Amino acid sequence: MSRRPLDSSVPAIAVHDVSKRYGRTIALDHVDLEVAAGEFVVLTGPSGAGKSTLLNLLAALEKPDTGTIFVRGHRLGRRSRHLNRLRRVEVGLVFQLHNLIPRLTARENVEAAMFETHRGRRQRTARADELLERLDLAERATDRPPTMSGGERQRAAIARAVANQPAVLLADEPSGSLDDHSAQLVFDLFDEMRDGGATILAVSHDSRLEQRGSRVISIADLSTSAA
Amino acid sequence: MTFVGLIMRNIGSRPLRAALTASAVAIGVMAVVALGVLTTSLKESATQILDVGNADFTIAQKNSSDIINGTISQDDIDAIGRIPGVRKAVGALISTDPYDENNPLVIEVGLNPADQAPFGLNILEGKAYTADSDDQVMLGYALAKQIDKTVGDSITIGGHDYTVTGLYRTNVSFGNSTMMFPLAYLQGLNRLSGQVTLGFVQVEDGASIARVRAEIDSQYAQLTTIETAEDFGRADRNLTLISAANTGGSLLAGLIAITGVLNTSLLSFFERIREFGIYRSIGWSRFRVIALVIGEAVVVSVVGAAVGVLLGWGAINVLENLRQLKGVFKPLYDAGIFWRSLGFGLTVAFLGALYPALRAALVAPITAVRRE
Ligand SMILES: Nc1ncnc2c1ncn2[C@@H]1O[C@H](COP(=O)(O)OP(=O)(O)OP(=O)(O)O)[C@@H](O)[C@H]1O
Ligand SMILES: [Mg+2]
Repeated sequence: MSRRPLDSSVPAIAVHDVSKRYGRTIALDHVDLEVAAGEFVVLTGPSGAGKSTLLNLLAALEKPDTGTIFVRGHRLGRRSRHLNRLRRVEVGLVFQLHNLIPRLTARENVEAAMFETHRGRRQRTARADELLERLDLAERATDRPPTMSGGERQRAAIARAVANQPAVLLADEPSGSLDDHSAQLVFDLFDEMRDGGATILAVSHDSRLEQRGSRVISIADLSTSAA
Repeated sequence: MTFVGLIMRNIGSRPLRAALTASAVAIGVMAVVALGVLTTSLKESATQILDVGNADFTIAQKNSSDIINGTISQDDIDAIGRIPGVRKAVGALISTDPYDENNPLVIEVGLNPADQAPFGLNILEGKAYTADSDDQVMLGYALAKQIDKTVGDSITIGGHDYTVTGLYRTNVSFGNSTMMFPLAYLQGLNRLSGQVTLGFVQVEDGASIARVRAEIDSQYAQLTTIETAEDFGRADRNLTLISAANTGGSLLAGLIAITGVLNTSLLSFFERIREFGIYRSIGWSRFRVIALVIGEAVVVSVVGAAVGVLLGWGAINVLENLRQLKGVFKPLYDAGIFWRSLGFGLTVAFLGALYPALRAALVAPITAVRRE
């Protein structure tokens, strides 16, 4: 389902000595992380430890203060065209707070992620409907986020993140508000993506998700300055 | 969903705002259409005089605010008729008088019967008045129909009674709504003995119009020759003023409309900062964000422009029926008005939305997750 890395010896994610601070808050302090292509890594850690910050940096939403980040062998730099492409098709990000566009329906939220791809209008709609169906949201396709439940919004956000079959999926607590049945639908989708060669980095405290990961790491262990 | 569909969806979800923006554009377009039609129509009816009698050019008094108010000596016109290369020079006196409620301003032409044929006059019924009569009049057929008079009828103008001797048609449409008197009589009535208002010159085949004009311009410093609408604009300052008022009014209307679009686009930018951050975070290019914001403004403005054209048309109808403009203002619609309105709407949308669009494009992707 996902596009395969060109060379599986190139790590999907390589973070070297990355720091990020907001004013006086040090969100990330000299962090190192390497995730091999095809891995499913679950990242844990206490609240405020910088997990979301790390995902934001990997999704190129902002830049680290120091250090380097490589995604699939490409260094995240300043070339905005590359960054657009990275955000659009290389990396999918499930936001912790979903961040759907409130005025658009669930289907439109998913479709909006597929502009500037090879898909035409019908294909975009078909792909959105296919994902919503798989995540048991077919009946919510024309609803807007403010009228949806937390779990429904979470699944819509997942559908949007995987719409373009990203090679790297970054998911911030993707199963936090899901019951067992919905969580199972999401995990099946993740499994299928991994079968297709995708790499997944998920922030989670959900034991159901941790069991599925190929590796569970704590963000505290990534900080080289602490050691 | 197409990109245009997304634009429509965004507009539809803020209907009141869209309606307010569209009405700002509509008012601007209404002003542009009404002023434009008024100006072209006045210009057109004014410059029709250039076509009278298939004259090659017209002669008027220099520096008069309105060429209809100028005076030229009949002797000068006769002398011009003798310049080599001139086939015929005809002088006509023009004045106006009220006739009745529906015709508050009738144009009266004083012309010698012998000059009627060169002037392009075609007698449809009856015959010409005699050159020295003081109680005879001819009517343009359109006027005759309007006031329900025909050959042999009696008609009262300015307290004098006249007999209608004939009905005529001229080669320019406004001429058919005029009435015509013997030149000497109309001169006497207006205390303008020996004076005419305009001269109409035909040059001989093969003669150079430019050479004849130059000759007249150099010999008669107080006169000016008018061949094109542009010459007309130079000779008639009213027309220049009307054109300037049109340009100024349209610019002002544009500014108001741009401010309206800018205002709402900027408001909605501040409301939607997070939304733009989300678009950027899922890989939209800056260009697409700009296209979204400008696209929304364009759709709203084009709808506003369409409404404005209708409003403008309504405003013209009101103007047309104003007592002061009755008979003077015959609205002339050209396709250009509609294209100009569309262009106006698009320009307003682009200029009004440009700044908010650029701001939107510069919203950082991280804004998607920033806490308020
Ligand atoms: N934009 C910001 N401005 C100021 N401080 C910030 C900003 N973003 C994050 N922080 C701070 O950086 C630290 C790390 O935040 P982050 O959201 O990455 O934590 P987290 O590990 O995801 O926590 P949680 O498990 O609660 O989601 C926190 O102390 C947070 O307050
Ligand atoms: Mg977090």
